Amino acid sequence: MVVDHETPSLENGQTDKEVEENANVLQFMDSMDAYLTLIHSLSSTLRRGWLELASARHSMGASRVNTVLLDHTSHPAATSLLVTQDEGKVDSGKPHFTLCKWASSSNENSLLGEKHSSQDKLHPQLRHRGSTELYEEKTSSENKASREVDDPVQKERSKSLSMFGTLVSPKLRAAQLSFEAALETLVEIANMRSEMLCAFDQVNMKLEGRKDEK
Amino acid sequence: MYGFEAMTFNIHGGYLEAIVRGHRAGLLTAADYNNLCQCETLDDMKMHLSATEYGPYLQNEPSPLHTTTIVEKCTLKLVDEYKHMLCQATEPLSTFLEYITYGHMIDNVVLIVTGTLHERDVQELLEKCHPLGMFDSIATLAVAQNMRELYRLVLVDTPLAPYFSECITSEDLDDMNIEIMRNTLYKAYLEDFYKFCQKLGGATAEIMSDLLAFEADRRAVNITINSIGTELTRDDRRKLYSNFGLLYPYGHEELAVCEDIDQVRGAMEKYPPYQSIFSKLSYGESQMLDKAFYEEEVKRLCLAFEQQFHYGVFFAYMRLREQEIRNLMWISECVAQNQKSRVHDSVVFIF
Repeated sequence: MVVDHETPSLENGQTDKEVEENANVLQFMDSMDAYLTLIHSLSSTLRRGWLELASARHSMGASRVNTVLLDHTSHPAATSLLVTQDEGKVDSGKPHFTLCKWASSSNENSLLGEKHSSQDKLHPQLRHRGSTELYEEKTSSENKASREVDDPVQKERSKSLSMFGTLVSPKLRAAQLSFEAALETLVEIANMRSEMLCAFDQVNMKLEGRKDEK
Repeated sequence: MYGFEAMTFNIHGGYLEAIVRGHRAGLLTAADYNNLCQCETLDDMKMHLSATEYGPYLQNEPSPLHTTTIVEKCTLKLVDEYKHMLCQATEPLSTFLEYITYGHMIDNVVLIVTGTLHERDVQELLEKCHPLGMFDSIATLAVAQNMRELYRLVLVDTPLAPYFSECITSEDLDDMNIEIMRNTLYKAYLEDFYKFCQKLGGATAEIMSDLLAFEADRRAVNITINSIGTELTRDDRRKLYSNFGLLYPYGHEELAVCEDIDQVRGAMEKYPPYQSIFSKLSYGESQMLDKAFYEEEVKRLCLAFEQQFHYGVFFAYMRLREQEIRNLMWISECVAQNQKSRVHDSVVFIF
């Protein structure tokens, strides 16, 4: 067996550096791939939402689905965005975005929204929709919690749609869900972009370090 | 006496029946729709529509066009035709023609009241009202705080006054009350229109009974489906159904307790005319229900033209034009959103 002494071994510090650099590059490329996937997902969700809105307008009539019915009275926002800095980490200073959906209902709702908006960044097709859905991706404990919060969330959803009337077509409700999903995707995109920029900075720093060494 | 309209109808109604049959010949054909469905932009649509009766209404519209502009201008054409017929009509045809617009009047009243509740500018709201449903004191609706004031200040002098007896309360207007008011008014209007047509008798009564009964049944189904999962109780739902139609009264009893679309299907499939509609849908699906109902309605409206010497042709023409405008709205939305593959989801061919 011929041993190639010129090939650096894994225990070599320089090799560790290369491994770390490769890991940074891979992380950057992964986050860019996820970012582009999310952008594509957002585009198709918004297309679906706009068509569903047009379909609702076709079904209910132009006088019932109209911009002049939008509520201009002052009322609390149904959804808010929380921006925090990730502290205690190597890449501290990276902003983290959390969507608090239907924040005017109980706090559990907003926490559920937070938990699920940070999950599945790399698999937007399997995107969780927080407390709004009862599909098979949830665990049984989450199922129970989600059932408990669904009624208030459904009420909030109906309340926000009530500007178009209380008896609205299922197509309008579907459009609402699509735009809600789009909003969640936007927050995921913001978080992914933040990660991507952070990974890019890491890679850049390593490259600068290499240039200085030379 | 039924069957003898041929002897006297043309004295007062002959000219207008000829006019409306002429207008009917101007409805868009399948070839027109095929051309429109292949348009890449709204300006292409304008170019194709310039060869139709809508041409003069769209020719001066500047680019870029908007979907609402196309719908507004096409609606203006319908309004012009209606006003021409109304000013030429004598009783009882003039009253019949006015009845056709009361539905739009109700929609306009609800639009103004809802928009005012949402602190919107009255002028903005008036611009969005349907022109067929306008009346003189409509802007005054904005000052009413409850239904009693609505009636006393404005609606007492309008044709909608008799329909308010069932929904006058002193409760402040809110979203649920307004919705119930809308549906209660529409129910009263349909029943009144039905009774009026029955009084006219003859072919008008026969044809309009069928068309209005279908309208009442479709409304019952839509109210049921739209109220699933809402706070509307079964009793309140039942109260919104009209007191005539094929579904009255036993179908209504079943619809009132339905909790999902499959139960609605179960209730409707007992009636042969609606069994054919629901057979086009898969279980649990309600997306194509609107199109199925529109197709059935168009079939019945076209049949109204097969008989002469009755007023049903006027109602049928107005509804067919409204369907055509809905088709144009859908096609223009699909073109504007670059979703031409979905254009046939909701277009209903008339010929």
